[in-house]
Amino acid sequence: MRCCLSLLALLAVGGLHGQEKSTSFSDLNGRSHTPLSQADKKATVLFFLLPDCPVSNAYGPEIKRIAADYEAKKVGAFVVHADPDVTIEAAKKHVKDYGYACPVLLDPTHILVKATGVKMAPEVAVIGPDRKVLYRGRIDDLYVDYGKRRPAPTQRDLRDALDAILQGKAVAAATTKVIGCHLPDPKK
Amino acid sequence: MRMSAMLSLLICAGVSSAQAPTFNKDVAPILFAQCATCHRPGEAAPFALLKYEDAKKRGKLIAQVTQSKQMPPWKADKSDFAFRNERRLSEAQIATLQKWVAAGMVEGDKNDLPPAPTFASEWALGKPDLVVKMPKAFKVPAEGKDIYRNFAIALNLNDDKWVRAVDFRPSASSVVHHTLFFLDTTGTAAKKEADSGQVGSSGAMGGFRVPKGGLGGLGSLTGSGGGQPGSLGGWALGAQARSLPDGLAWKLPKGSDLILSTHFHPSGKAEMEASTIALYFSDKPPTKRFTGLQLPIAFGFAAGIDIPAGKKDFSIEDSFVLPVDVKAFGISAHAHYIAKTFNVTATLPDKKTKTLLKISDWDFGWQEQYRFQDYVDLPKGTKIDAKITYDNSADNPRNPTNPPRRVRWGKESTDEMGSITLSVIAAQEPEFSELQKGYQQHLIAAIRKFGGKK
Ligand code: HEC
Repeated sequence: MRCCLSLLALLAVGGLHGQEKSTSFSDLNGRSHTPLSQADKKATVLFFLLPDCPVSNAYGPEIKRIAADYEAKKVGAFVVHADPDVTIEAAKKHVKDYGYACPVLLDPTHILVKATGVKMAPEVAVIGPDRKVLYRGRIDDLYVDYGKRRPAPTQRDLRDALDAILQGKAVAAATTKVIGCHLPDPKK
Repeated sequence: MRMSAMLSLLICAGVSSAQAPTFNKDVAPILFAQCATCHRPGEAAPFALLKYEDAKKRGKLIAQVTQSKQMPPWKADKSDFAFRNERRLSEAQIATLQKWVAAGMVEGDKNDLPPAPTFASEWALGKPDLVVKMPKAFKVPAEGKDIYRNFAIALNLNDDKWVRAVDFRPSASSVVHHTLFFLDTTGTAAKKEADSGQVGSSGAMGGFRVPKGGLGGLGSLTGSGGGQPGSLGGWALGAQARSLPDGLAWKLPKGSDLILSTHFHPSGKAEMEASTIALYFSDKPPTKRFTGLQLPIAFGFAAGIDIPAGKKDFSIEDSFVLPVDVKAFGISAHAHYIAKTFNVTATLPDKKTKTLLKISDWDFGWQEQYRFQDYVDLPKGTKIDAKITYDNSADNPRNPTNPPRRVRWGKESTDEMGSITLSVIAAQEPEFSELQKGYQQHLIAAIRKFGGKK
């Protein structure tokens, strides 16, 4: 019992649990990545998406822009599918529909979900070179509530977090609440 | 202590699971009746809700959005007269979904599962008399503001027709929110489109139909056939096509073009939309006429819509006293983004006030054409009051301009409009002209007053 508690506490502070540090994932083209420890990057963004979540899909263009804008600044980006029902074929179709250029990973057993503590789609986790989760939450405040969308976001939380990290500053709001769809349970 | 807590936890769990609703017995009937029209393959909603696995996977979200009444989408509050096809869960149904999710989403006995709902495979009202399609597809971009676009479709009819129903099928159902049907006998919309070389033309409410000012332009807006001027009603996501009641029909003059005024909601992925429209004709002309009483008149043109930047509680109102006995069969509301509430009441000659339509959280995205379950009898002397409020402050997340700016009446979606349309017949058909005359006078008075103020 006590052991469990301290484990939870550890995750809550944002440290990655030992084992996952070197976990390697294949993308849809069979290339291997270690998204939780990217030595050559200043930070890495994991975009947790669900192909049948309208809020998640609405962010397609902005996700592409963020990935492109920060690539030159040595920030890595991955799209992660945590729904065990999403097959490689389904993920490929999703990439084709929305045009993501960054590598796409499948996480049916929720290794990345657990390591980062995300619960929703579209939720992002920004991982620093020291493998800490530096930001976790929404991309921006486009959605005020389910079915209630602003014409344009007024606060761009993910971009603000990345800018702070690149300037070596602390992230002002390290976690934010996500409007979106709950990630389904992992494969047993 | 810990032991007893544990024990009571166990007991609680035991009790609740004994009474816990199951998917097959309690949840499936709700989903089949209230969700499946949209949540099935090929329809607008992003996933099906027909099988246990479908629902279990999204249980938490289902509990959340039904509790908050975002799903099923239905913007009208409960009022004094029931609407047809009302998409509203009862408090008991909402509680059942909550309990089912809280108790771990049990599937239950297969024998309890009701048969899956069936839907018309082609057109819900059977074989249409005329089917037309947008000649060219319109490209809806992946993102950006909502788009209002008008498309002119030639009907090539050599005779006048009477239309009893219109059905609509989008090709890209994830981006088409609603559409209004208009008739254009002048060819203006088609010409505008042809001249621009683009697919469709911009502007809300048929664009070209909006009065440029002056009595001449507005006179034609009272129309003759019924409903809104030159209107053939509309379609909104999830709507089921219905014939007008009682053999009523819209007049469709020969040579008219059909105008679709469609509202698009970009989805994150670029789509091509080429809508298909089905028209159903009456074989004989209707024996009754109907009309749309629009309050305030002309989409709020003369209602003094001029909302200062930052103003939170701006409102417009209009009233009309019925000159004859009428029967109402439908009601719709129209405004753009910053409208907040609609309230339409009928004060009967005995001074009792009934609510005809109340919307407390107006959403531009859901423009329903509400049809009353039964005719609503409104005797001569009944006063219809319509009040619309707006919030032009930065606190209104739907405000399309940030920081807010002064908003006046206009057809662009960053301008505002505001009106309701009550669709009525005269209880005694011979009194119809008197009804029309009464409304005509109301219209002229409203414009005079507006002209005087200016
Ligand atoms: C009139 C059509 C319609 C009906 C009826 C309907 N839905 Fe939906 N539903 C939609 C659409 C469209 C969306 C996608 C929303 C968007 O694009 O923002 C949606 C989205 C959802 C979502 C995802 C959350 C979100 O807002 O994106 C859930 C969960 C949901 N519906 C549950 C239900 C349930 C449960 C019912 C029945 C009680 C229901 N819906 C009835 C059209 C409908």
